[in-house]
Amino acid sequence: MYQVASKALLKPRTWAPSGVRPKVAHNVVMLGFVSLLTDISAEMVATVLPLYLVFSLGANPLVLGAIDGTYRGAAAIVQVLSGLVSDRWHRHKEVAETGYGLSALCKVALVAVGSSIGAIGALVAVDRVGKGIRTAPRDALISLSSSKAGLATAFGVHRAMDSAGAMLGPLIAFGILLAAPARFDAIWVVSTMFALLGLAVLVLAVQGRPARAPRPDSARPSLRSALGLVGDRRFRLLLVAACALALVSVSDALIYVGLQRRIDFEPAVFPLLFVVTALVYMALAIPVGQLADRFGRVRVLIAGHALLLLVYGALLLPSLGFAPLCACLVAMGAYFAATDGVTTALAGAVLPERLQASGIGILTTAVSLGQLASSVVFGALWYSIGLEQAVVVFAAALIVALLATAPLLIRSQREPLGG
Amino acid sequence: MGSRQRRVLAAIVAVCIVIGAGYVIAAAFGPSDVNTDAQPRAAGGASVPAGAELIVRGVDPGDPRLNGQIFVLERGHAEKIPGSDLACERVYFSAGRGLCMAVAPSGVEYEATVFDSSLQPVKRLGLTGLPSRARVSPDGRYGAMTVFVAGHAYLSGGGFSTTTTLVDMRAGKEIAQLEQFEVLRDGQPFDAVDFNFWGVTFAKDPNTFYATLHTGDRYYLVEGNVRERTMRVLRDGVECPSLSPDGTRIAFKSRIGDENRWHLEVLDLDTLSAHRLAEDRSIDDQAEWLDDDTLAYSYGHDVYSVPADGSGNPQLLLRDASSPVAL
Repeated sequence: MYQVASKALLKPRTWAPSGVRPKVAHNVVMLGFVSLLTDISAEMVATVLPLYLVFSLGANPLVLGAIDGTYRGAAAIVQVLSGLVSDRWHRHKEVAETGYGLSALCKVALVAVGSSIGAIGALVAVDRVGKGIRTAPRDALISLSSSKAGLATAFGVHRAMDSAGAMLGPLIAFGILLAAPARFDAIWVVSTMFALLGLAVLVLAVQGRPARAPRPDSARPSLRSALGLVGDRRFRLLLVAACALALVSVSDALIYVGLQRRIDFEPAVFPLLFVVTALVYMALAIPVGQLADRFGRVRVLIAGHALLLLVYGALLLPSLGFAPLCACLVAMGAYFAATDGVTTALAGAVLPERLQASGIGILTTAVSLGQLASSVVFGALWYSIGLEQAVVVFAAALIVALLATAPLLIRSQREPLGG
Repeated sequence: MGSRQRRVLAAIVAVCIVIGAGYVIAAAFGPSDVNTDAQPRAAGGASVPAGAELIVRGVDPGDPRLNGQIFVLERGHAEKIPGSDLACERVYFSAGRGLCMAVAPSGVEYEATVFDSSLQPVKRLGLTGLPSRARVSPDGRYGAMTVFVAGHAYLSGGGFSTTTTLVDMRAGKEIAQLEQFEVLRDGQPFDAVDFNFWGVTFAKDPNTFYATLHTGDRYYLVEGNVRERTMRVLRDGVECPSLSPDGTRIAFKSRIGDENRWHLEVLDLDTLSAHRLAEDRSIDDQAEWLDDDTLAYSYGHDVYSVPADGSGNPQLLLRDASSPVAL
């Protein structure tokens, strides 16, 4: 634990995807495995929980929607707090462990109290809080383990592994139910095993004090200085730009409903749209991250949003064939690859080491609030003036936002914030 | 990571794999069936209305999610048709054609079966979600199925939506989703991202149907036309409509406040005004008309009946049964 100084002198162990540079720190790959295992565990449960509630427990599916919606807001607040706490006491790994541990505990509890709807509601809530707690310190650890030149690649590697887990989870869950029909308890047990594995990798294989981490004896940032980030001009530029872009970006789910209205495809195909997009995202996350590190993160972020603009355009076409639909899905996957991890990398590059978790927590929360608002506004526009008109409004807003935020983003990256 | 940590991690991996795989293997070879043999029991002293014949689904009170076998109720006794092993989650039948929505043998998928008057399967259709409502038009020409599609979060995040599909019962093929129909409200086209349809009921002219359209906090009763693929909004506050045999009234569930609790009501199609029925419990079912004066519905694991004019009291018809269908 206290070998920081000597560790920093040693060349950090690295892992490079097929010999491409820049190299990715061992710690990032380990954190990728933690997320992969945890996402397998979470998505296994998330996929079958509605079926379980309705069929085994006779619940109304509305219950689950209400449970989920209520605690999203709570998770956003927890995210900011956990970032602050991580920085304040130099305890990124411990805070992340608390978050992952809480979620693992929920899976264990599911095995124990799985037949009470009220208890499941509470577990879903605690699980969300766990997710809120772990995100900021984990992303800060990824950032602090990587060289500034390789930040987007590092986040790309993590996001690729993370979404691989999210895709494997449902497959494993359905595989279990195929082998043992209607035995939901087997899913809870296997999910618990994956959650514990993820936690074990975090505890045993992840470095708590990576290369760029502030020395443990360095001054503790006060909560005020962490919150003061919002007042710092350059971080605020990034915050405003990311939030504005989120606000004018229509969520994938809404885009797919729009495409469905356009093309009239079978509803059974609908979930496949998400699968294809996730596959493209997974495949492109690393190369797009490398691209961002080499040719500029802001450029890649803006190019990603330009792809989203193309998808908006497809929503305005009178009809859409199979090939253009596929192109839309690829564009959506590439858009995610060019925006999700890259935005965090932009923050990681400008934030001082001692305030990484706080800043990332604040940024992630702002972006998700922007996304939430965008969905509400787009839904309201669709309701009041129609789908095409809503898309036109959002396309115009996206163009304006891109023109307005590009200079802000470039300025925010020019020099790091004062420590 | 030191060698000690590596050994601990390897041990944890091994233990987790053994527990997880062991549990799944044990579950795979353990008892697991998606069907039940549970048999409905006639309620002591229940008076089955004269001439009423019913089809019901047996419910296993210990595990109500299991597909229940289909029984025909005659002379107050629930009897199984010999040679049929049809088992459903929801069932409906009319004019020689039936629709059975069930958990597929895998236990995680759902399927619908079109069956004939000897309860033999004619055609199978895949379902994209959890069975909710099934209806067949009085002449047996069209069928309608509503499923819950969980996880398609459009606005609320992790919410739910429904899909209602119309089926050509002769060909055993899907015709369309109600989501594809054009909707008019006060003569104006009406559309929103959060449209959900459920609970179809057909008129004697099978091109005419009624259903619920949910958008925002509204639960509209819509009147639709299968051939023209249109619907128009009639009034608010009507879920799971069920048209009376004489075609003049609609029984429905009326939401109590914002909660998921409902009263049974009957509305007059001429005036669109409604009255409550003499059932004080919350009923989550699409009611079935036994005749022009009596309704049947599921509550808990049992089937009850109540007069349609608001008089009288609920009567227990059958224990361990659901999905009543008047023949």
